[in-house]
Amino acid sequence: MKIFISGGAKNGKSMFAQECAKKLSIEEHLWYLATMEPRDDEDFARVARHRNERAGWGFKTAEWGRNIALHSEEIDCKGTYLVDSVTALLSNEMFCGMGGDINKSAPEKVAKELLDFSDKAKDVVFVSDNLFCDAAFYDEWTDSYREGLAFVDRALAEKCDIVAEFSCGQIIYYKGEDLL
Amino acid sequence: MELIIGGAFQGKTAFAKENFNLTDDEIFICDKDSAPDFSKKCITHIERFSFWCVEHGFEPAEYLFEHAENIFDKIIISDDISCGVVPINKTERAWREANGRLLIKLSKESEHVTRIFCGLSQRLK
Repeated sequence: MKIFISGGAKNGKSMFAQECAKKLSIEEHLWYLATMEPRDDEDFARVARHRNERAGWGFKTAEWGRNIALHSEEIDCKGTYLVDSVTALLSNEMFCGMGGDINKSAPEKVAKELLDFSDKAKDVVFVSDNLFCDAAFYDEWTDSYREGLAFVDRALAEKCDIVAEFSCGQIIYYKGEDLL
Repeated sequence: MELIIGGAFQGKTAFAKENFNLTDDEIFICDKDSAPDFSKKCITHIERFSFWCVEHGFEPAEYLFEHAENIFDKIIISDDISCGVVPINKTERAWREANGRLLIKLSKESEHVTRIFCGLSQRLK
């Protein structure tokens, strides 16, 4: 089963993603794939908070912040993975260059690697973020990133069995409502 | 009239092309720096037209209905710019509100309103 969840910040995505993953998983094969690469105190505090929120759920943690394909040997084929988040993974891949270069091929790479990964695992729940509905003119960097994230989101949504958006804690299904 | 809305880069134009058999020649892409040409069947990035209106002192809904012929036969596409932080810039604040008023009017007049999310459609009306 492949599930794609997106929406604005603090709308209930993570809790729903955790519940889906828990429900689909077989005993010890429940994984949290953390893609954020913590860089400062604020990041480390966020990681600690997320770990607390997952405590007692039975998640094992994999920390793969980039190059998902390099971990293909480590994938638990009976595993249910919660990928948190597509947003952070793309950011790591896109802005990893020296001298502030943007890696414009990153969206295609990330989409392919995530889809290959999802074919090897039993289940994957992808969590992304809706960064697309505000009234602002962005610099080229930010806009390439938004366009890239939309590309990855659309590629994942096309292949996922369930696609849902969260708004104010409410779920809006785009497909697969009957599958859970 | 058909109204298609959704966040930036979500696949709205692709949806319109597929569902209404449009070619690129039938699509007019609005520009925030110049007056629009409403002669084509499909008008996309209407939110940029709203910005142009705000900068030139027009109310987008009024201008559109006065200047576009056969408006009820058109397919209109807008980015959803209604979420996010209230813009600091006064013109951008006015723009967001003017586009909102335009979309309410278009939504009321449209036969169908479709929202696109990650390439998938949702019928709002």
